[in-house]
Amino acid sequence: MAIIERPAPTLPAIVTPTTTYGVLKRPVSATGWRSWVFTVDHKKLGIMYGATAMFFFIVGGVEALLIRLQLAAPNGKVLNADLYNQMFTMHATTMVFLFVMPMAAGFANYFVPLQIGARDVAFPRLNAFGFWAFLFGGIFLNMAWFLGGAADGGWFMYAPNSGPVFSPTNGVDFWALGLQITGIASLTGAINLIITVLNMRAPGMSLMRMPIFTWMITVVQFLLLFAVPVITVALFLLSFQRNFGAQFFDVAAGADPLLWQHLFWIFGHPEVYILILPSFGIVSEVLPVFSRKPLFGYPFVVFSGAAIGFVGWGVWAHHMFASGLGPVSVAVFSLTTMAIAVPTGVKIINWTLTMWGGKLWFTTAMKFAIGLIVLFTVGGLSGVTHAVAPSDTQQTDTYYIVAHFHYVLFGGAVLGIFSGFYYWWPKVFGKMLNEKLGSWNFWLMVIGLNLTFGPMHILGLQGQPRRMYQWTEARAGEGFFNFAFWNLVASIGSFILAVGILLFLINVVITARNPQKAPLDPWNARSLEWMTTNPPKEHNFDVIPTVHHLDDFFHQKYEEDATTHIMTQVRTAEEIMAEQERNAEKHIHMPSPSYWPIVLAFGLPVITFGLIYSHLISVIGGVIVLFAAYGWALESSTAPDSDFENNSPGSGLDKVTANHD
Amino acid sequence: MSRRQFDNWLRATIASVRVVLRKVFKPLVVVAGVSVVVAGCATNAPQDTWQPKGPNSKLIDDLQQPVFAVAGIIGLIVAVAVIYTMIKYRDRGQPIPEQIHGKPALEITLTVIPALILAVVSVFTFGAIFKLAKTDDTQMIINVTGQQWWWEYDYPAQNEFGITQPIITSGQLVMPVGTKVLLRETSRDVIHSYWIPALNGKRDAVPGRVHTLRLEADKPGIYAGQCTEFCGLSHANMRMEAVALSKEDFAKWVANQQAPYVAPAKETLAQQGEEVFLNQCVRCHQVNGLMRADGTPAIAAPDENVWSGAAPNLSHLMSRNTFAGAMFDLLSKQCRDEVWNAPSEVVGAKYLAGVTEECLNQKDLRAWLRNAPEVKPMYANPADLAVSNGKYRGMPYLALSEDDITKLVAYLITLK
Repeated sequence: MAIIERPAPTLPAIVTPTTTYGVLKRPVSATGWRSWVFTVDHKKLGIMYGATAMFFFIVGGVEALLIRLQLAAPNGKVLNADLYNQMFTMHATTMVFLFVMPMAAGFANYFVPLQIGARDVAFPRLNAFGFWAFLFGGIFLNMAWFLGGAADGGWFMYAPNSGPVFSPTNGVDFWALGLQITGIASLTGAINLIITVLNMRAPGMSLMRMPIFTWMITVVQFLLLFAVPVITVALFLLSFQRNFGAQFFDVAAGADPLLWQHLFWIFGHPEVYILILPSFGIVSEVLPVFSRKPLFGYPFVVFSGAAIGFVGWGVWAHHMFASGLGPVSVAVFSLTTMAIAVPTGVKIINWTLTMWGGKLWFTTAMKFAIGLIVLFTVGGLSGVTHAVAPSDTQQTDTYYIVAHFHYVLFGGAVLGIFSGFYYWWPKVFGKMLNEKLGSWNFWLMVIGLNLTFGPMHILGLQGQPRRMYQWTEARAGEGFFNFAFWNLVASIGSFILAVGILLFLINVVITARNPQKAPLDPWNARSLEWMTTNPPKEHNFDVIPTVHHLDDFFHQKYEEDATTHIMTQVRTAEEIMAEQERNAEKHIHMPSPSYWPIVLAFGLPVITFGLIYSHLISVIGGVIVLFAAYGWALESSTAPDSDFENNSPGSGLDKVTANHD
Repeated sequence: MSRRQFDNWLRATIASVRVVLRKVFKPLVVVAGVSVVVAGCATNAPQDTWQPKGPNSKLIDDLQQPVFAVAGIIGLIVAVAVIYTMIKYRDRGQPIPEQIHGKPALEITLTVIPALILAVVSVFTFGAIFKLAKTDDTQMIINVTGQQWWWEYDYPAQNEFGITQPIITSGQLVMPVGTKVLLRETSRDVIHSYWIPALNGKRDAVPGRVHTLRLEADKPGIYAGQCTEFCGLSHANMRMEAVALSKEDFAKWVANQQAPYVAPAKETLAQQGEEVFLNQCVRCHQVNGLMRADGTPAIAAPDENVWSGAAPNLSHLMSRNTFAGAMFDLLSKQCRDEVWNAPSEVVGAKYLAGVTEECLNQKDLRAWLRNAPEVKPMYANPADLAVSNGKYRGMPYLALSEDDITKLVAYLITLK
């Protein structure tokens, strides 16, 4: 194990094994590209998740803009029918699996260990493997664009339209197998984070003192743990049908295509909460900090999050109200769907009451958080209108649904993610994002998203169905405010939205070039991740903190007068930091980097590529996986002393040495 | 807090809430209401879900309107509460507030209230779900079959409506008003969804299953619809209409559908067109009563050529207003508008007039016959059919000469 030592080492660390049985030694670079590619540091991996997800966000965004260009006017000619079908399939797939999920994984990776006062996750190499599997899975999914066409069955990929006859290109194969790879990434990540949260919390941090973001992430990891296997099974059935002639969804052979719908939505509905709960967690951190008050009803928010996690398993068939399930099933799922609105509403109420009576500071992060409250509410309420099943039979598969879930996912999940960017940017990069640009970023995004998705409510209720590569004037109605008007507004709105997001990217570049460093505690924050340097040291904390309160960092800074309830500052963040550095622990054991996670992850797309083109390639991929697993299992826990020469990391305090005596 | 302080606080709060209600809430409601209802909507959108034209859609509408209203009010309350909080508690240099962790009684109240609202909504929802699933009051049955990318209607023999032998048609569903029609839906390939918003919500047509959907129209008229389950390349072009006729007009329509085949007069262009039809089209398209030159009936065999095993039956084609999955009008623009915009008393007569020579939309029909896959995306490229055992999905390019097309059009117009 590489050990980061204080200047005066006293006790030797005991680590085994001391020799490597693998083929390669452990990598030792602390700088340069090797320090990223072979890293197992949860913070570096968090940044890598974030950067990759941002890239796919742009890809999915360009797909969205092409869709809106096509639909700006009747009988659009920008895309043909085939390309349009690929475009909306990949837009949804990219945004769900390659942007929101990994972005949440990035936040979780970076901040969960920091928030619980840990030095890394439970299984650092598995963590690295998860990232690489996600990246390779995402690339694999998009390779289909260049190899005969991407998947064209919609992200829901209903059978039998996804079968070999109806979707003859390899697009669906790439889709199914690519999602298997990203599914492996999600599963390993979920197991890792659950174990980290359950086992590695700082002393004194009971579950009910855990930051709410970590709580929501924990709920999400349990959802992933149980939901991903369902889609895995479904995707295997699909792949077997397409690649090996199985007949799981073949009606002529007696199959029922509704089997796929049930499997997909048993995964797909918890997936919705997988997408939204991390953002709920982020704004539940941001609102208290900028209201200068604790989260109102913390236990209610925790338990409503957990309740959503449970009830979320009992609502899947509300995606199938028009599928012909029969009235009893429809009534039951209608009821459960209304039931899940209650814990969701609880959160809205708690956030509003968190601000009530506070001392509100409208930073960009706070603006995005408040934007989420209002816009998510719009999406939640339109959701209630289709919990009413008969009403849903008029709304489902129209633009009203598109409006609904974009208010939930853009107004909810994405605004939460942007709130997190502005709030935690100084923590991650040591610099503050420009607030003025941030304000423009916020307002353009909010105006853009309302112009894009607001009119879709009207379009849908007036009968414009989804997933049509063209819309016709024959169904567009008359008058100035006909479909032509609202479709054009939506298309213009989408470009305003795009400019808003572009401003964020510009803000990132400007911030990176700005030499000014962020203060230690720029927001006067409340949770443990702020009790370390910006960016945090490789080992996160010089001293593992002992936790006495919810919002422990705030209570270390402030004391309450018992009678007047006035909060007085007793210590500054700098003082707390200085004290930690004085008492820094002598031996801090950090996991060594490893070659094997990226190699093992690389084997997966090789296997799946071979399943489509030639089984021989699969065998090669299998050999890579086995070889990497062998190296992974038998590599020594650290590199030999001699490897570390001239490889000290940048930090003046720390010195990396090998130590296995 | 003393009693007096509390009273003052309460009074101030009520006053400020009143101000908010008067100054913000009321204009907001008015503005929102006006803009959405009056300005925001297209007039006469054919697929408007808020303009029910039959008892089933009316049932849905009566159920959903209060839900929309309640949802709108709650949305406004949340927005106003958030904005009010933002203004009232913005940082004006006040001290850091007391660290209140919550008020359980308040939270329980605010949890129970939405739960109660939803409980009330669910009671009415349950009632509607079961009413919309009823099948025992059916007066008429029509079998509806979806396939890429058109709908087939099959009227089983029902003597009380004068249907003595099955009627098979496509594109437009013709039904009598004031009659409880039950659609029995299925599909021959992928999942489709049948949706006439003015008459009821949608119901998926799933291969291997039969799903029912109630339809009933109050007044004669043409009600537009669209396939709403993504079904592949030409999903956007899979449209349909329900044509509701008065009972007398419906009887006339039935009689016309059951009328025997009238062969075109000898030595006419139409008769040459019949020959072209027998050489080309009859491979897939049935025209009931059509005979070959040797006196045997011409039986179409779409199952040998088309993946779904079906192609539209073209008997009495000109009694319909649309073709190619209702993607194109058989009527010219002007004649179409005359039928669609006719008041309900005369729409039946206009519809039953069918497509006359002057009203025929020659342009789209000729383009379709010239090269169907060019005007409607379909899987009809012979080079790409290995995966479907050489069978087409949609109508292929037939390489007809302009001369043949002219003859065919002359023939098709005789299929009254």
